[in-house]
Amino acid sequence: MGADAGASTATAALVAHGLSKRFRKKVALDSVDLSVPAGSITALVGPNGAGKTTLIRVCMAFERPNAGRVEVDGVDPWRHRSEALRRVGYVPQTPAVYRGLSVEDHLAMARSLHSGFDADYARRRLDQLGIPLDQRADTLSGGQGAQLGLAIALGTRANVLLLDEPLANLDPLARREFIQVLLDAVRSEGSTALLSSHIVTDVEDACDRLVILGGGKIRLDCPLEQARRTHRLTDADSPPPGATAVGSFLGKGGQKVMTLWRLAAAAADGADGQSAAPETTSLEDVVLGYLAAGRGTAGLQLN
Amino acid sequence: MFDRIWLTYKQQRFETLAVAVACLGAAAWALLASWHLNSVSVPASCLVGGHVPYWNGPSNSSWIPGACQLPSQRFTDALSSWDVRIVSSLGDVLPFFVGIAMGAPLVARELEQGTAPLSWALAGARWKWLAGKILAALLLIVPLLLIAGLAADVLRGAQEPGIDPHASFDYFTSRGVFFVLWGVAALMGTVALGALFGRTMPVVVVALIACLFARATWEPLTDAYVLHGMAVLQMPGASSPGELLVYQSDVLYLDGKVYTGTDCTLFNGVPGCQYAPGDEPDPSSIGPQLAWYVVTGDNYWRVVALESAIMLAGSAALGAFALVWVGRRRPY
Repeated sequence: MGADAGASTATAALVAHGLSKRFRKKVALDSVDLSVPAGSITALVGPNGAGKTTLIRVCMAFERPNAGRVEVDGVDPWRHRSEALRRVGYVPQTPAVYRGLSVEDHLAMARSLHSGFDADYARRRLDQLGIPLDQRADTLSGGQGAQLGLAIALGTRANVLLLDEPLANLDPLARREFIQVLLDAVRSEGSTALLSSHIVTDVEDACDRLVILGGGKIRLDCPLEQARRTHRLTDADSPPPGATAVGSFLGKGGQKVMTLWRLAAAAADGADGQSAAPETTSLEDVVLGYLAAGRGTAGLQLN
Repeated sequence: MFDRIWLTYKQQRFETLAVAVACLGAAAWALLASWHLNSVSVPASCLVGGHVPYWNGPSNSSWIPGACQLPSQRFTDALSSWDVRIVSSLGDVLPFFVGIAMGAPLVARELEQGTAPLSWALAGARWKWLAGKILAALLLIVPLLLIAGLAADVLRGAQEPGIDPHASFDYFTSRGVFFVLWGVAALMGTVALGALFGRTMPVVVVALIACLFARATWEPLTDAYVLHGMAVLQMPGASSPGELLVYQSDVLYLDGKVYTGTDCTLFNGVPGCQYAPGDEPDPSSIGPQLAWYVVTGDNYWRVVALESAIMLAGSAALGAFALVWVGRRRPY
């Protein structure tokens, strides 16, 4: 169940080697090897407590790893924090805004703290969304607060964006808008984004790469399309030929336990003549299969 | 940098306003109380030892010279009024209030409210982020506390009309430049605690206890370890220019030798003293007398400079700890 071969480190914007982090007895990250290709939008998916936030916080030098190392745009954030953070735009899990400061004040603060901060760029993005610059930031809606966080991160014009579950507290419309702004910005700037989320449907359209994290380990790391193409969901009694079971979980409607199978590469390509090449599996099912595998049970068992 | 300073005040607008009102209010109050005392205009001939007017309380006016009775009475009434008494004691409170009020939110509240990661992600070097905030706090509190401290000097001069407040050690660590020094020390200590604890309320409580401890032990410790080199023996009956800081009192023979006997042989008729036959003290002997080691008033600025240097060094050490520690700690 190891990670697929990721991008080569030469073109990787974010690389982790044997990264481990413990909080007393709890293992948050367990020898994580990860490579996020430059220019990609990578979804970091996993259940609560999987280690997504810890991974991003290690990349931000908020946490010191117990073992291994991480490089953001070629720089180790723990050893060269200033240099590394100049290359990173960060959106925290909950929009942390200063009470009593206006949106414009937040941009002024960002400009005073970050020498390369492009306040005009951030201002334009907020204008497009109709967020008033003179409004107090603590009176913004959840979606507007998240957009402010994203505008500040984008204003740094960083090569790498780390987004720690920014969609978690947003309504569906706000999530859609957030993703759209992110996509526009990343594609126009050619930057790299690592978007952590547990809402699979939202990242499905936005991301081109999927990393599933469970129990502190990487369960899957591959392009999104490959994840869909190389997995099949069937009931447990009818495995695709040459496939390996990943995990079982309760199917839609709650009537049946379904099993996710990982196909052999040849079968996925349809070269063996036995499997239907165009057939794909939904990303949600792929993620559920790996999460169930990480949990070690099929969840609710039906008779 | 101007933006960052202004935004620090804006983030802490309640504390900034409270500190400004407290300092300027205390200064105005002290000046008003000084004017009230000065308006009594006690004649120089009515100053005890050339320093303070006779204390004309209800039970001890009979020995005051007749011409001094009225001015002494008016001065005593003014000095014992509630407003003068309260404003006189502000020197022991205000600098600590100012330092803690500005210092506690600087780091602890950012960590508590989750805004620290936003700033840290932008700033890169956290020490620069904190240094900017400390600078903003210092730019606010130093002038405000200096104004309040100088007003306290004026008040001390009015309370003791015959002395120069800048050559007198009377309450000298509760006025003047010491307002600034205590305030800066309280600020730095509170910021260091904020970096350590990351929670506002525990920081305030521990900072208050630490400030009380520092205030209570400062004078005994500096007297014992810092000022002893400046203390000179003042023989009984000798007079010295200016006010004196009594460093240590001792019982001496008049030739300067330290007396090593007991109270029984020093003073006649000490209750409970048993004298062996033939050892009774000679009532006609001058004998040993009480004398003081003192620091004279002409050393005032030297003492202030020395104690200022120690306090500033301590404050700098606390600030350096905060700058280092904030780089090591993790946000919540």
